[in-house]
Amino acid sequence: MPIRLLPPDVAGKIAAGEVVERPASVVKELVENSIDAGAAEVRVEIREGGQRLIRVGDNGRGIPEDEVALAFARHATSKLTDVSDLDQIETLGFRGEALASIAAVSQVTLLSRPREQAVGQHLRVEGGQVVRQEGRGSPAGTVVTVEHLFRNVPARLKFLRQPQTEAGHIHSIVTNYALAYPGIRFSLTSDERLVFQSSGNGQLYDVLIAIYGLDLAEQLLEIEGAGNGQETEASHPAVAVSGFVSTPALHRANRRYITLFVNRRWIQDNSLSHAVAQAYHGMLPVGRHPLAVVLLDMDPTEVDVNVHPTKREVRFRNGRLVFGAVQRAVRRTLVEQAPVPSLGQRPQSWIVPDQFAAARDWQRRQALMAAGRDAAGRDAADDAQLALELRRAQGELQPVGPVRLPLLRVVGQVGQTYVVAEGPQGMYLIDQHAAHERVLYERMLADHNEQEVTSQTLLEPATLDLDPMLSGVLGEHLASLNRVGFALEPFGRSSYLLRAIPSILAAQGAMAGSDAREIMVDILEMLQQGDDPLADRAEERLIAAVCKRAAVKAGQTLSAEEMQQLVRQLEQCESPRTCPHGRPTVLHFSAQQLEKEFGRR
Amino acid sequence: MKISCLQENLARGLSTVGRAVAARSTLPVLSNILFETDEGRLRLAATNLEIGISSWIGARVEEEGRITVPARLLTEFVNSLPPAPIDIELAERTQTLNLKCARYEANIKGIDASEFPEVPTAETIGGRNNLHLEADNFRQMIEQAVFAAATDESRPILTGVLAKFHQGGLTLAAADGFRLAVTSADVGVDLDESAKVIIPARALSELARISDGEEDDIELIITPNRNQILFHLGNTDVVSQLIDGNFPDYNQIVPKAHSTRTILGTQDLLKAVKVAFLFARDAANIIRFNIVPGSELSPGQLVITGTSAEYGDNVSEIDASIEGEGIEIAFNARYMIDALTVVGTNEVALETSTASSPGVIRPVGGTDFLCVIMPMHITR
Repeated sequence: MPIRLLPPDVAGKIAAGEVVERPASVVKELVENSIDAGAAEVRVEIREGGQRLIRVGDNGRGIPEDEVALAFARHATSKLTDVSDLDQIETLGFRGEALASIAAVSQVTLLSRPREQAVGQHLRVEGGQVVRQEGRGSPAGTVVTVEHLFRNVPARLKFLRQPQTEAGHIHSIVTNYALAYPGIRFSLTSDERLVFQSSGNGQLYDVLIAIYGLDLAEQLLEIEGAGNGQETEASHPAVAVSGFVSTPALHRANRRYITLFVNRRWIQDNSLSHAVAQAYHGMLPVGRHPLAVVLLDMDPTEVDVNVHPTKREVRFRNGRLVFGAVQRAVRRTLVEQAPVPSLGQRPQSWIVPDQFAAARDWQRRQALMAAGRDAAGRDAADDAQLALELRRAQGELQPVGPVRLPLLRVVGQVGQTYVVAEGPQGMYLIDQHAAHERVLYERMLADHNEQEVTSQTLLEPATLDLDPMLSGVLGEHLASLNRVGFALEPFGRSSYLLRAIPSILAAQGAMAGSDAREIMVDILEMLQQGDDPLADRAEERLIAAVCKRAAVKAGQTLSAEEMQQLVRQLEQCESPRTCPHGRPTVLHFSAQQLEKEFGRR
Repeated sequence: MKISCLQENLARGLSTVGRAVAARSTLPVLSNILFETDEGRLRLAATNLEIGISSWIGARVEEEGRITVPARLLTEFVNSLPPAPIDIELAERTQTLNLKCARYEANIKGIDASEFPEVPTAETIGGRNNLHLEADNFRQMIEQAVFAAATDESRPILTGVLAKFHQGGLTLAAADGFRLAVTSADVGVDLDESAKVIIPARALSELARISDGEEDDIELIITPNRNQILFHLGNTDVVSQLIDGNFPDYNQIVPKAHSTRTILGTQDLLKAVKVAFLFARDAANIIRFNIVPGSELSPGQLVITGTSAEYGDNVSEIDASIEGEGIEIAFNARYMIDALTVVGTNEVALETSTASSPGVIRPVGGTDFLCVIMPMHITR
């Protein structure tokens, strides 16, 4: 085939693919335009997860009559004039691609009136071409309606998830902008139902209440003052950190709840999420993540947002400084403000003389401070040393020999986390959580394959009111969930009724201080993390999630019988050496190795 | 402080209050027992801040005083002494308690009593609603309720037992996520208004233990702000925090009707369930009931099955008098055993409707007790 220039409509669709990935991308681009237009109110309306219709209306500046048609041309923008502006970007958009890209893959209707003009312009664009333009009465501001998204791009259409899932993505886009712009009143209507509304009164905390509810918002701490980077750069800090973070008592199963903004732009940055998580070092259970909304303000020249067409990723001129500023600000907030973890509603101490309460507080504070020093005081050299030791240890520890485990005799428990056992080949260290997870997983999988999964009915059915994201996840997995022993049924729009749970979750101690509702949310969050498109694997993944939740946790003291029982059951397993997620369950130190280490040989 | 008392009395008092000593506490003084002279008697007290127990024993008081001493050491020491008088003297300056009994002597270092939280007694609590309950009767009611209370803290309300006083009667109710127990009795209480409180199950268990063999009535005092309850026995006061909140409306959970009623010998059923449990232990405790109504020639039967995929299975048959249709339903054996153990009558009725609706255990004759047990399922 000879080389030739692509026709404009093909090139347009290819470029559109980078900007418009799914309905949520359209919402993102349009909401950004509204914000850049100085709107005080942004209304988003979607139908069928945005595939049928997306309408974003604002009361911003509007587009003058003579510029309306040009708005849909590629690389047309009012936000940038020459290349030097690229270093000083203060608007959210600037590439001039959004409207053109959206128009290339859908039918767009635009209605816009600048405040100073009497009549608005109504414009219809199909397949990238303006098919009609006329004057029409309209309120001040701009309303963009996008219909039949991807109808002319079957390849994209195929990859769209269920409407509920797409609606969930849109919900998180809108709530994220509401967080970044508490002064703008946002609303989101999905299939004619109002699902989110912020007040636009400028208070970030009020937006948090609107998103997470009052109960959860009460457990958030405000990040204190301006977390400065380094004092070298003049008097004012290079990076100002603000926002809210959860107390150590509140945590989630995945990192989705860490939301980051740079100059009010929502970004995804693994290293900054990590900075937030690291500030909680030693305060959260393993595998749990904090909930945080962190806003960074910095000189626009210090950050490059023109890295990726969707602007999700940014590049910092001095990444280490930003990382450090975030980590320190969060850590300081935690150390100074974190309350003593509440013991649920356990009866309060009734008659302790005051000085004891104070003394206990002090102890707790000391402990927190010490933990802080530990995390901050350990320097890079220590880290390198630690990594080296770890590598050495990994090299030397034999992964346990044959597939099956030999008969083991339990010796004891270390750190309420590992079981020490002795076998004919030497010493074995068993991770109690991973091992129990494996035992439960094989048992439940066998039951599932023989269609013998047992479930326990709840005394009172629990009502689950889920956010759109999780309710999307649940909707997608409903049939599988019911096959592995849950009894769930829809109960209104985004609510479900939980009538029964798999019996391994009902076993004594498996709930570990949470009720059925919390367990369900945890499992949904675990499901949400992975993106496994194969349906049959999805059910296994679900079983793995249930078993992870039901398994004995690290930090639980086990009696001698319990340990013996666990080791016996692990010996019976088909593949006892890893947990269902692939982490090792057993480490083996051979007798020779022990002899060598002690210099007996 | 200078007193003398009998070893048996002191040992008994220490074992009574010992259960309230905090097992692991950040506050060292909570693992101590308070020793205090009180109007010619010796008062012992312990608390873990959730419940507190005070016990008085007869003693000859020569000199007043108070001190706290480590519970475990003191209890084990006193239990090893011969049954003889013990002379106890406190060295105020060093806060050391000297105990002499026959040829044994010990000095035990204490902590100043002013650091010990105040444990309210019937005199100091200043409550109202003084009610008198017959000890044996109340103890049986406690046993019929506490077993169903939740042991994990996810819903603190459910770790308590609802006590509802109404026109001459008392109802206790407890539930975890999967079962509910309700017991009522006419206790001859005369109350103007009905009262509802939620008492921690652990406090009631301790009370049941302590009141064993008690002949006098138990006097019950609720503080005016309804945050504490005190049980006054002859020589002992048990005080507990009350749990604040609303107990679920259990009347909605108790089924109003049933389609099958099976009457069985309590001991026969309990035994068969225990046998099936041996096999069900590693299969989520699931045991299956097959209820087969009788005909004119043969009596009705309950067939109980316990199955272990790994080890084998077991089938037991019990004769039963059955009204209604046959049904197959599965339960957690442990919940069945708990309920049958406290039902307290020779015969017991099991009421069922469908395999997915709750089963209800009721005594035949006897006390007003019921236990709702949610069934288990096998997903196919």
